[in-house]
Amino acid sequence: MYGLRKVEKYFPGVHALRRVDFHVNRGEIVGLVGENGAGKSTLMKVIYGAYQPDAGGIFIDDKEVRFQNPRQAMENGIGMVFQEQSLIPNLTVMENIFLGYERQFVNFGVINWNAFAEAAKKQLAKVKLDIDPATITSELSFAQRQLVDLAKVLTIEDRIEGDLVILLDEPTSVLAREEVELLFGLVRGLTKRASFIFVSHRIDEVLDLSDRIYVMKDGAIVDVVNHDEVNVDSIQHKMVGREIDTEYYREQKQKPYNASEVLLSFDNVSLGTRYKDISFELHPGEVLCLVGTEGSGREAILRTVFGLEAPDSGTVTIKNEQVWHFTAEGGVWRGVGYVPRERKIEGIVGGMNVYENMTLSQMQNFSRAGTLLESNEKAFAREWIERLGIKTPSENKDCGGLSGGNQQKVVLAKWRSGGSDIILLDHPTRGLDIGAKEDVYEMIREMCDAGVGILLVADTLEEAIGLSHTILVIKDGEFQKRFDGTPGSKPSLYDLLHHMI
Amino acid sequence: MNLERIKPHFPWLTLLALALLVGIANPSFLVPSSLLSLVADIVPLFIMALGMTFAIYIGGIDLSVQQLANMVTVIATVYLAQFGASVAVICILAGLLFGAVSGYVTNRLYVPSFVSTLAMGFIALSVAKYLSGQRALYMDATLRDANFGWMFGNTAGVPHELVIAVFLLALAWFLQKKTTFGRALKAIGSGEPAAVASGLNVVRVKVLAFAVSGAFAAIAGLMFSVKLSGGDANLANGFLLLAIVAVLVGGTPLTGGVGGVINTAVGTLIVMVIRAAMVYVEISATQQQMIFGVVLIIAIALTIDRSKMQIVK
Repeated sequence: MYGLRKVEKYFPGVHALRRVDFHVNRGEIVGLVGENGAGKSTLMKVIYGAYQPDAGGIFIDDKEVRFQNPRQAMENGIGMVFQEQSLIPNLTVMENIFLGYERQFVNFGVINWNAFAEAAKKQLAKVKLDIDPATITSELSFAQRQLVDLAKVLTIEDRIEGDLVILLDEPTSVLAREEVELLFGLVRGLTKRASFIFVSHRIDEVLDLSDRIYVMKDGAIVDVVNHDEVNVDSIQHKMVGREIDTEYYREQKQKPYNASEVLLSFDNVSLGTRYKDISFELHPGEVLCLVGTEGSGREAILRTVFGLEAPDSGTVTIKNEQVWHFTAEGGVWRGVGYVPRERKIEGIVGGMNVYENMTLSQMQNFSRAGTLLESNEKAFAREWIERLGIKTPSENKDCGGLSGGNQQKVVLAKWRSGGSDIILLDHPTRGLDIGAKEDVYEMIREMCDAGVGILLVADTLEEAIGLSHTILVIKDGEFQKRFDGTPGSKPSLYDLLHHMI
Repeated sequence: MNLERIKPHFPWLTLLALALLVGIANPSFLVPSSLLSLVADIVPLFIMALGMTFAIYIGGIDLSVQQLANMVTVIATVYLAQFGASVAVICILAGLLFGAVSGYVTNRLYVPSFVSTLAMGFIALSVAKYLSGQRALYMDATLRDANFGWMFGNTAGVPHELVIAVFLLALAWFLQKKTTFGRALKAIGSGEPAAVASGLNVVRVKVLAFAVSGAFAAIAGLMFSVKLSGGDANLANGFLLLAIVAVLVGGTPLTGGVGGVINTAVGTLIVMVIRAAMVYVEISATQQQMIFGVVLIIAIALTIDRSKMQIVK
């Protein structure tokens, strides 16, 4: 009934969707699983009209359609329940449900609130939610808001003829067990009116609810399985793809770290709702990887080490000195370097050239009484461009114009050259091509040889396993399990996944 | 050649074109001596715009400069007799202090700079009214000439105001281009999150930027006061719009990060030419503000970096 045929989508430097064939039958619940960055969200955006495919087509009942925007998709029966919720918190429930479609209740410019509330009640009944439609949305629980969001999407069926396809993006991520059951029951009941596409990283839930499951990897659909033929292991295997290539992650260059010395230690450190009672030690030459799902608290831990977040309790010790004041300036001074996930926003300053970026964190080394010594900066930048093989016409080139891999090298050069010996890497290979990724892996090994301790949040689980000496699994801000990552006895993906979700 | 590559050259090309246009219509405009006196005339405005450049360069704005200058005219006039030439130090410190408070309010209390500086401007205005007793005050001519007479006058045909302007421009350029402070300003204007993630003390740098803006506004006020030989809480009115126009027409966008003090010099000259042209075609003073208002909107729309803005309110 609804289908994509041979859809391709390109972004600058990335082939985001590769010949994707995808279809939904009437009344069917289709699951979509894949790792972060596998292309799930791009695919969803194509389905609900936020992106237009670069090749291939969208078909409804074998007729080709093209959506310029989500509203057009909606008019063709495609609705989306967003993970982060699209409701406006300070409006009432009914105003949210009919946002953008209030016209039907307006006579001579005046809103007929009774009819409005009546209609909203009818929509809420569809999701079995018994609340006053005049309630301010922010007063509802998260689960209730999710149902209101669903009710809002279901108003599409009153506006259009034909079938409905509803996308659910990670709808269960913050729901309690019984709330999930409730939602699933509701979705199953609604299949009489609509088909669903259910996207989640919780494989067990996808298996539970879906009639058919699409598995995505690197922008392509790698498998489609029916509910009855499902095998969790094989899905996980396909999600993650190829066997771990030890050569790729430079495992032969992984040497034991110096366990007698401690660079950084966390002792029962907690920060609000972000993470709780985290303890670990980082040693020179060690790659310690924090593994967990999105929002499990990994990044907050990195930002605490750097000084951008101050913990509520616990002791952070860097090089045998307890940290009392958490500022980024202090972090740099203590020898901590931070390679953030958002390379273009937090990593480099676009509009500043290569040498200005490299010395930004260490201007005191290139100035006298506040006056910059630019020729020193330039010579220094040329040295590091040479050393890391950064592809740039010169040190005067705007960093914003470099490729992702070279930008990342500039960020790494900034910290390494400044003598940082605790390096925090947040998704250091995100969005890089294979060659650039290998360069980053090579640099990680070199830093370890030089006695640097690395705290890593990896882009994929394979990367985490391949690179790490130690892996800590974190779930919902709490420590789950520690794995030893010595080559030969590295944990498997399934070991990790088991504790993550 | 595409538009993005010509864009940085827009300001001086505009200046050249406008100057030629006015020169053709009114050849006396291009006579060196009359040009020099026009330029000398606009120096207080230029100094104010120079300071404002620092606030705009980091992506903020300083709406207090006109009121700071007003306040300084009063301070200078009231305390000249008591402190002599060192009244200049008091004036500049007052400007620094007001600017620093604006910066602190903006960065520590998270009040957007256009509101915090507007509020600080009203406070400065109040101080000016209080100190002056709401009257126009006059400087003692002998004292003025003895202490600040050097500001005005001619040496070998070069007006002294111009020398002061060039000196301050060189100072501002040095600050912006050659110091760690200037580099930090650029990083903050171009990409503040990356500046934070590089461990820069972003708050301190931003507070300093507003302090510099305040100090330059104070110098502008002092010059104006000496020039007009008096002080009044409304003396510098009309400067604010022109100062903003000068910075933006010069090519420093409201979003910050590019442009700088040299651009502001060009922008101020553009303002001067437009003003001369309006006098020539006999547009009355009341209507001039209208023209500058329109120029301001056009300049903002042309220079602003929309990729840095998600929402406009």
